[in-house]
Amino acid sequence: MSEDLPILACRDMSCQISARPKALDVLQNIDFTVARHTALGIVGESGAGKSMLVKSIMGIAPASVRVNGQIMLDGQDLFAMKPRDRARFIGRKVGIVFQNPMTSLNPYVPVGRQIAEACRQHFDVPRDEARQRAIELLRTVGIADPEDCYDYYPHHFSGGMKQRIMIAASLICHPDLLIADEATTALDVTVQKEVLDLLQTIQEQRQMSMILVSHNLGVVAGRTDEILVLYGGHVVEYGPTSEVFRNPRHRYTEALLSAMPHMDQPTHTRLRTIAGQPPSLANKPAGCPFAPRCGAAEGPCHTTMPDMRTGTDSRHRFACHFPLEQTVGPAVVSGATDRGARAQ
Amino acid sequence: MTNTRLPVAGTSPSRLLEIENLSVHFSRSGKLMRAVDGVSLHVAAGETLGLVGESGSGKTTIGRALLRLLPEANTQWQGSIRYQGTDLASLSRAGMRGMRGRMQMIFQDPVSSFNPRRRIEDIVAEGLVIQGVPKAERRTRVEAALADVGFALADVAGRKPHQFSGGQCQRIAIARALAVQPDLIVCDEPVASLDVSVQAHVINLLQDIREARRLAMIFISHDLAVVKNVSDRVAVLYMGKVVEMGSGEQIYDRPAHPYTRKLLEAVPVVDASRKLRPAADQQAIPSRIRPPSGCAFRTRCPRAVARCGEEEPILTPAPRGQMVACHFPHDETAPFSTARQA
Amino acid sequence: MSSPGAPLVQGTRLGDIARAAMPATSMLKLPGGTLFEMLAAAFLVFLVLIALFVDFIPGLVSPKFPYGDFSQMPDLTLNGLLGTDDIGRSILSRVLYGARASLTIVFVATCLSVSVGLLLGMLAGYYRGMLERMVDLYANTMSALPSVLVVLAFVTATGTSVGAIILILGILDIGTYARVAKAGVISQNNRDYVLAARAMGATDARILMKEILPNLIPALTAVMPTLMAGLIITEGSLSFLGYGIPAPAPSWGGMIASSTDLLSRFPVLIVGPTMAIVLTVYALNTVGDYLAHRLNSRERGN
Repeated sequence: MSEDLPILACRDMSCQISARPKALDVLQNIDFTVARHTALGIVGESGAGKSMLVKSIMGIAPASVRVNGQIMLDGQDLFAMKPRDRARFIGRKVGIVFQNPMTSLNPYVPVGRQIAEACRQHFDVPRDEARQRAIELLRTVGIADPEDCYDYYPHHFSGGMKQRIMIAASLICHPDLLIADEATTALDVTVQKEVLDLLQTIQEQRQMSMILVSHNLGVVAGRTDEILVLYGGHVVEYGPTSEVFRNPRHRYTEALLSAMPHMDQPTHTRLRTIAGQPPSLANKPAGCPFAPRCGAAEGPCHTTMPDMRTGTDSRHRFACHFPLEQTVGPAVVSGATDRGARAQ
Repeated sequence: MTNTRLPVAGTSPSRLLEIENLSVHFSRSGKLMRAVDGVSLHVAAGETLGLVGESGSGKTTIGRALLRLLPEANTQWQGSIRYQGTDLASLSRAGMRGMRGRMQMIFQDPVSSFNPRRRIEDIVAEGLVIQGVPKAERRTRVEAALADVGFALADVAGRKPHQFSGGQCQRIAIARALAVQPDLIVCDEPVASLDVSVQAHVINLLQDIREARRLAMIFISHDLAVVKNVSDRVAVLYMGKVVEMGSGEQIYDRPAHPYTRKLLEAVPVVDASRKLRPAADQQAIPSRIRPPSGCAFRTRCPRAVARCGEEEPILTPAPRGQMVACHFPHDETAPFSTARQA
Repeated sequence: MSSPGAPLVQGTRLGDIARAAMPATSMLKLPGGTLFEMLAAAFLVFLVLIALFVDFIPGLVSPKFPYGDFSQMPDLTLNGLLGTDDIGRSILSRVLYGARASLTIVFVATCLSVSVGLLLGMLAGYYRGMLERMVDLYANTMSALPSVLVVLAFVTATGTSVGAIILILGILDIGTYARVAKAGVISQNNRDYVLAARAMGATDARILMKEILPNLIPALTAVMPTLMAGLIITEGSLSFLGYGIPAPAPSWGGMIASSTDLLSRFPVLIVGPTMAIVLTVYALNTVGDYLAHRLNSRERGN
């Protein structure tokens, strides 16, 4: 397990749902890696395949879904393992936080005990020690008076607090990779910021890797090192976060960025719109999934899926036949902008 | 529909809607919750008022109280809601029915705001049927309302809501509200459940309609960027009270209330020029049933002093012109509002 | 979204996928049952047809049926397929005519309880308060009492007549239907479409009829077969005890009762009426399960 080995690597992964009259492709040709100690953002609209991607990595995709390709977790090929070993291996290496904490927490068991029990299952430690570990974890995620909170039931906590508890639970096995699947979507902005800050702090302190899945570009901007843009089950753009946001090359990414209202626009600014609807699984376009909505689409866009190309920065890749021009030079991390100061 | 449009003495005729001292209390299992506590707002014809706040701040309750949609059981409300001079509180159910044609509502969830078993053209025509519009006129008005949101009647005829996407449903919901030709639409989180690529279209659409029909809107949202885009004036709510109210520029560029600043700081911004540094602070949000004494925000406020716990601040004009309910309002430009890169 | 979008079938989440794969119109059909469920449904259709047209089946009509001929030996016609009873009446024809009697009683009783139960349940769910408590009390009381006893008490008081039986069987299930309707109304009452209708100024009656009622139908259809199966059994028990349809009119319960006397010597006599009850109840329950299942998956899809 060398340090330069990526914690997670997906190679040519695809997911299909067996359905009549023909199987539906949820994800196609997914290729990415998550290096150690880095954070990857996965963004996409509903139906882009974000949650299926997460479920496939976690090995919890529904039985009707067939996952192909290769997923390497900490250098081990997941599909080469026996299902039992695989589940245990994933459970030890990856922690996950879902959008809705209520579906993951048992409402009838005190939260501390739920964490302690999980601890005992994994490590076979005595009850007292499991309790100590659970309290320690609750403290790590910023729960005040963890000794008291240990005995509280989930309904005593607000949404943000429950999400913190879920983060604590995901840390039991000292995972190398933490996946937050829309973990802050249901929260208020102020609470969302606190939870995102917590995730980022924990990732940096514990030297973990993190995958931040969100439909909100703002959530992943500034909190991730790399970003993967999914659309219609394809990776359309993938690269260093600052590069992608400064200089989007895929027309979908660019359109999405300019469709968002910004707080610095004057009131009643007309927003740029994207024509049409995101593709549905049943009727995906033959070529580029974005072609029907794209202003620049021409012949080949409608017939063939473009290959991944590489920009000036070799880490910045995009799947577009007619990519946008490189407008700005390679991203230079500008000094202390006010944006950086703002975060404190 | 012959409603009195006479302004009552003391109200400015340009004000379409005036809410004064509105309080809504819910009683749940013996506990009293002040969902809205002494809120005063007004909306002029053709103006958009944005209501922002976290969940539980009372923004949805205000929207529903305006249309008298709150459940009657376990709910008490006081205060006056004057619509073009008519006090809605004094109206009977039948009298209120007459007002329904002038105020409408758009809901957050485009799927659940339609009866899944009814056809789209019936859904859009429903308000007209209730208002007693004759059949021939009904059809033309439904067509016009659908055309305003970019549908032809033939596109939707005979179809049920589940055959449309979220964005399309929200456009149909707008058409349903427009069909009765209201002067005011309450939009309760109209784009919150839409994808970004679809949301822009709905926002633009609302703007176009607002201009074309000189509609007044109350735009309720938790998304501050969206509210900035659509609102002429913005009211920030915290725990059932208005803590700051002013024009979009005032609120967003020089927020005077610490809570407004906190909200604005928390908005995730698409800017990846450098990684954010996480902050460690966090404060508990106080209980709605037992709100803190004095200023409700003091438990989370970095500037709170003893006075904040003793004396409740009231809305007063701040130096920059907006109204703010704070003993120690900020006066400087917000650090995050300067030199925003595009 | 600038084009006046052609309506599309929404289908992106996992639950919607099955729906996305098929054209929207097929939503209205009821496909997807197992062979077993199809058989059960076919059996019920067959039973209804029999009840309607039993008079026109050649060989089943008088003089042999249903009051029979005392002297004849069992013959080899359709009529004699299941044999004859102690007084020489054809069992097959009595089972078939019994089907008509049972189904008519159960059908009319169900119409009665659905209409009253729906009305009470909708009002209770919409206005809550006192009415809701009364409906709950009624439903709880009825489900606490053994139904046969209630019916017996009633029938003893009124005397056995088809009208009385229908009435009391109808009263039995009102509470259950009312509760199903009430729960449906309460769950819909806070939906945005009800609020939207109120914002439009719709009267309570209009909201109940136009917005809420159509959405109650699936839940009611799902419980109906199961409750009807219960009524078949109750009606059978009643006839078995001699308080049902007055003899000599054929009824399944009555036939079982009269065959028990000869059970040790001619056990075959009990087969016909028993099978009729068992199969009907089984088929109704199977169809009920199927409908409930369908309804659930559809709700999730929506």
